[in-house]
Amino acid sequence: MKGSSLQDETQPASAAASPHKRPVAGRPRTVRKVAEKGLPYLLVSPLALFIIGLALIPAAFTIIQSFYRVNPLDPPTRFDGFGNFRKLWADDAVRTSIGNTAFYVIVGVALSTVLGILFATVLRKKFRGRSVLIAVLILPWALPGVVEGILWTGIFDPNNGLVNSVLSSLHLANQGSVLLGENRLLTITLIELVQVWQITPLSALLVLAAMQVIPDELYEAAEIDGCSMFASFWRITLPLARPGIAIAMVQSLIATLNVFDQPYVLNGAASTGASITEQTYFISFQNLDFGEGYALSLIITVVTLLISLVVVRAVYRRIDY
Amino acid sequence: MLGSPGGKRGRIRTTAAVAAAGAAALALAACGSSGGSGGSNQTSGVTITVALAADPPPKAELDAFTKQTGIHVKWVNLDWDSLQTKISAAATAKTFFADATDVDWSRVGQLGKLGWFYPMSQYMNTKSLSSDMPQLASFTSDGKVIGIPYDASFMVTTVNTDLFSKAGITSMPTTLDDYTNDLKKIQSSGVSQHPLNIPFSAAEGLSTYWYETTGALGGTILDSSGKPQFASPSSPGYKAAEWMVNAIKTGLVPAGNINVADSQGEQTLMAKGQVASTYSDYSGVISTLYNSPKSSTVVNKIKYLPTPGATGTAANLSNPDGIGIPVQAKYPKAAAKFIEWFTSAKQQLEFTGANGQSKAWSAYTLPSHLSAVQTMAKGNLAGGTTLSAMLAKSKPVFEGGAPSWYPAFSNAVYTNLHAAATGSKSVAQAISAIVSATNGLSS
Repeated sequence: MKGSSLQDETQPASAAASPHKRPVAGRPRTVRKVAEKGLPYLLVSPLALFIIGLALIPAAFTIIQSFYRVNPLDPPTRFDGFGNFRKLWADDAVRTSIGNTAFYVIVGVALSTVLGILFATVLRKKFRGRSVLIAVLILPWALPGVVEGILWTGIFDPNNGLVNSVLSSLHLANQGSVLLGENRLLTITLIELVQVWQITPLSALLVLAAMQVIPDELYEAAEIDGCSMFASFWRITLPLARPGIAIAMVQSLIATLNVFDQPYVLNGAASTGASITEQTYFISFQNLDFGEGYALSLIITVVTLLISLVVVRAVYRRIDY
Repeated sequence: MLGSPGGKRGRIRTTAAVAAAGAAALALAACGSSGGSGGSNQTSGVTITVALAADPPPKAELDAFTKQTGIHVKWVNLDWDSLQTKISAAATAKTFFADATDVDWSRVGQLGKLGWFYPMSQYMNTKSLSSDMPQLASFTSDGKVIGIPYDASFMVTTVNTDLFSKAGITSMPTTLDDYTNDLKKIQSSGVSQHPLNIPFSAAEGLSTYWYETTGALGGTILDSSGKPQFASPSSPGYKAAEWMVNAIKTGLVPAGNINVADSQGEQTLMAKGQVASTYSDYSGVISTLYNSPKSSTVVNKIKYLPTPGATGTAANLSNPDGIGIPVQAKYPKAAAKFIEWFTSAKQQLEFTGANGQSKAWSAYTLPSHLSAVQTMAKGNLAGGTTLSAMLAKSKPVFEGGAPSWYPAFSNAVYTNLHAAATGSKSVAQAISAIVSATNGLSS
């Protein structure tokens, strides 16, 4: 059999096509073909199992349980239709947190994307100290959100904070002016600025990665054609960096829609800054109303998916060089 | 160069098959691994997991316990919020998380009703403990003790005697009216611009401050059936809320305290001599913070003050930390042996450093055993005599134990009191919202 197979491989096409030899030679070929086709799936299977186990099964569980009354303090678990969703809508704290989160998303995604593009444009060209600058840029992203929250708590502290000290020394505000917790707009703006400080580095790196694959020839040709730097940026850099920009926007969207650490550490549970994920935490783990928590998680997931889809459709373009 | 979004179609059927196989495998695995109570009775040669929101005690102390019992201890330090989340998540999923972990006084009702912790009477003689552990009552739910207090945290009033004397105040106040007038005197004399510390951040510290003030005015928060006792403007709870909100509106409290949490206020205001008093502070804080030159500029200037009440000094409310055994523990008997050692009067004295600093546990505040506090008071515990007298008379926040819906109740308290302090709600509206939430929860 082995000899036949080897022989078959060395035979001209006409000989290999002989009706007597085809069945003998065909079996290993089929096996090889199946193995070749199956190998990618085999390689992907650990990751697929991981995703199924940690994302799809919990997601399915969440969808189902969101229609049930699941509260260990109020057993048994029972079907409740849209009861959890109705309760969420009637909850003032949830409605306020939706408004706050919408603000975080709009301001956070817009600012981090604009700043990300700006930083990436600056870092695109090689200059002395570029690597150090990139390392410094990454720092806020590398820090845990809670640590950043604590750091900025000190900066915003109304009694001894840096911001108030600077503003009062410039006679722009009184020492002890309240920055967080009193005025809702000011509170959510400052909280979101802290988050933008954290998420912008990743946006910048994603956009930078997309910019670095743009061929220099395009810029050289544009320069020969008399294109200004701004026109090159507008007509070459931005359109060709769209895949990176789209990914950066989606990661910012996910981060801002799920923001928890910054509002929780900087502003506690106060409605002036509470996010929708904070409410999910309170409902699920303080009140132990898991059914309502599942429903709110489901809403967040669906909204994240829908907006991500819109962003990808609007911004992403496949680039082939 | 620019293409359209989208990609190639995958081989859906094969992927679906892989997905289905994976799902089935995981589902089977999940079904097969469901947890259950009833751990091993082994008490020697085992390693138990102890999860608390604190750094571990000195290694030498834990090693001594291992030598004595053969039980090894794996210490897990988690922040308080994460710890509570893990306790809930593990208990709901019926999975092992720790052999011994935190039982916070405020969650006793919830944890007791859910049956997530073993009754400690199965492992220890809890009745004999109660006389020397006044705060054991705070860990009793439906007659069952589900945790043993390992420290004696209770709410106390602290005063900066230096600032009081600078304002010409020679005798300390014994009623809330006198106390308020003294603070106004400190303010008007220019000794301190804002002499009172109330942490108005929407967090647990604000709720406990209100409970203590209500208690000092002779009231209770909830009756035995969980009904609110603060709806009437003449009730102590209502008056306490008014007093607190007025204090920030009139400038007795720094305006910036609207977003200051309890520990932050201790560290940045009280320990820096910026305020003259914290009406509801924490026991043991003078030794651990205010008398520490590294973090304080008011060393030896802060004293405990028997809490001024409506007509005289009032009883202090307890908010101790306890330790219990989750029903999913792998080695409940070994965990019980650890708790017995960990909460013994002898070991608590070691943790305070009474028998040498090498045995002191940096995270430790005050023993839960009255006898241990009294021993310390004879030694060098700052304000030890005052503390031991207050500990002996301390009362639980809720006479019948914290209700099972306490976390939601506390959330309503601190978010509404915070809103009243910011001016987005009046005191009447805030109290009305808390009453409404409480009635909804207790019905």
